[in-house]
Amino acid sequence: MIEVRNLTFSYSKDKQALHGLDFTVEDGEIFGFLGPNGSGKSTTQKILTGILKGHGGRVSLFGQDISAGHGPEFFQQIGVLFEFPYLYANLSAVDNLNYFASFYPWQQRRDVGELLEMLEFKPDFLKKPVSSYSKGMRQRVSMARALISNPRLLFLDEPTSGLDPSGAVLFRRIIEQERKKGTTVFVTTHNMMDADLLCDRVAFISNGNIVALDTPKRLKEKNSNHRVVIDYLYQGQLETKTVEARSLEAGIPFAHDEIISIHSQEPTLEDMFIQYTGRGLS
Amino acid sequence: MWKGFCALFKKDCRMLASGKFFLLAVVFLILYTAYVNFGYIRFMQMPPYNVYLYDPAGTQTEASPLIHMVPSIEAMDEALLADANGVGLDASAGDVRVVLYAGAENIDRHRADYALSLLRPSANSTPEVIGTNTPEQKARKEITCELLFFELAAVGFLGIAAVLFKEKSMGVIRVHAVLPLQRNLFLLSKLAVFLLSDLVFAVLLTLLNVGLSGGVVLLPAVLLQTAILSLMMALVGLLCALLLKDFRQFTLAYLIIAIFAATPVFLSANTSIKFDWINFHPFYHVYMGLKNAYFGAAISPVYYIGAVCAIVLLFLLVQLAFRREMEKEG
Repeated sequence: MIEVRNLTFSYSKDKQALHGLDFTVEDGEIFGFLGPNGSGKSTTQKILTGILKGHGGRVSLFGQDISAGHGPEFFQQIGVLFEFPYLYANLSAVDNLNYFASFYPWQQRRDVGELLEMLEFKPDFLKKPVSSYSKGMRQRVSMARALISNPRLLFLDEPTSGLDPSGAVLFRRIIEQERKKGTTVFVTTHNMMDADLLCDRVAFISNGNIVALDTPKRLKEKNSNHRVVIDYLYQGQLETKTVEARSLEAGIPFAHDEIISIHSQEPTLEDMFIQYTGRGLS
Repeated sequence: MWKGFCALFKKDCRMLASGKFFLLAVVFLILYTAYVNFGYIRFMQMPPYNVYLYDPAGTQTEASPLIHMVPSIEAMDEALLADANGVGLDASAGDVRVVLYAGAENIDRHRADYALSLLRPSANSTPEVIGTNTPEQKARKEITCELLFFELAAVGFLGIAAVLFKEKSMGVIRVHAVLPLQRNLFLLSKLAVFLLSDLVFAVLLTLLNVGLSGGVVLLPAVLLQTAILSLMMALVGLLCALLLKDFRQFTLAYLIIAIFAATPVFLSANTSIKFDWINFHPFYHVYMGLKNAYFGAAISPVYYIGAVCAIVLLFLLVQLAFRREMEKEG
């Protein structure tokens, strides 16, 4: 779906934003692009969505090199959720969606009402202007805008930003549903939980370079110390011991009366990010 | 493409309606029309100066009824003190002496000649009028032209910038960068809405103030000039809105641009005096184009070439600024 080879981009002579990125995103894959502010995430996404021109290297989407520029057919196949909910504040959710939908062929459009219902949008606000919506409601309308054209390729920038925990769960479920339909999803995020729960593979980008690319599970496994922490009761005392995971194959290797809990010492995705890039995400 | 343009056009109309732009245009139309019909035309029909005559012996038997008789020289002084543009005529010593409260080198002779002419109205020769306009028609066309020019140059320009600033602050311009839509349509729809609204405004202002029969004949030429000015000002408004950070920054630029564009109206309207340098002022030619349209005078093809070049150049600049805006960080 997306093939990027030696992608470079400079905003000016002395400000190179991307230093030769290489990655591919397969059809139907959820691909996470993780990096701190100023790392080159947005620049990459803008190049892929055709907003930014003048890149070096080779980028092809839907099997076609994008250097020649994007025609309307390209934009008919993509949906983009921006980091901020960009909507007409004086129009209602329905009017906004009808307006943005009107640029797509009618056969391709989804039903505005169904889409908003799927996003659990409060029905009382359907006809009210966006200026009266909370951030979470605006984010829902923005997501509906990105999905309105049934895109084959979905670009999501911080999809769960501004949502409460149940909203974030809903969005992740919807992204999963999209993938099941065959949609390819390119997620740019700071949110490690989103990346961990959603993405088939993630790329860590730092200072315009991809420093690691793999499935979240493998990234964590590769760097795991393979130890477990066991809380247990022995002779009426609560105690804790850290042991090699392999040592559990023959049973608990120490005297105990009752096991309270066993925790693996697997690193988090954020730990991995810091390890690879030497810096945090925020 | 046509469907996309219609969607943009409809949305722009809604934006303008919600921003009360159309309502404002109607209010301005009513204000201008009331000013022309109840203020300006009546004012133009008034005598230019009040003339006060002190003639204790009653020697000025033919004096025009427009002259105000005063009973004493003190009363005349008082009248001139209160009306500094008035002209006093003192006929108490046989010869008529002209008295002015405040002097102005170029106007004194005109005021004195006018006042003296009122003493013998029958002796005045009536000049032959070779133009087709009556004084009222001339006044109506002149003021309508000035008001239309002012509206297009100062008010419409403000409206288009306000709409784009609103869209800029909502971030929706960036959304249009990823829609299956030719980017120029975003700009063209705005130009079309403003052009259409300016043309409707020009039609109504002309018909209401020049008159139905007189106005209809002028409309094709007036609408062509309106279109030229409207497009220029709309493009300047778009450029300002794209280049400047916010509406606060724009207010200063607006003042400068609006005063610059309206300068020809302040300096050359209703007078045959023409400064040499005004030929270098681009909006002087646009203003004269509109004035010539109202008076049916010929307009040089060089002006049209210049106007088209200016519009194309402005459009290219707006396009460049628009692309830059789309690429900006969210």
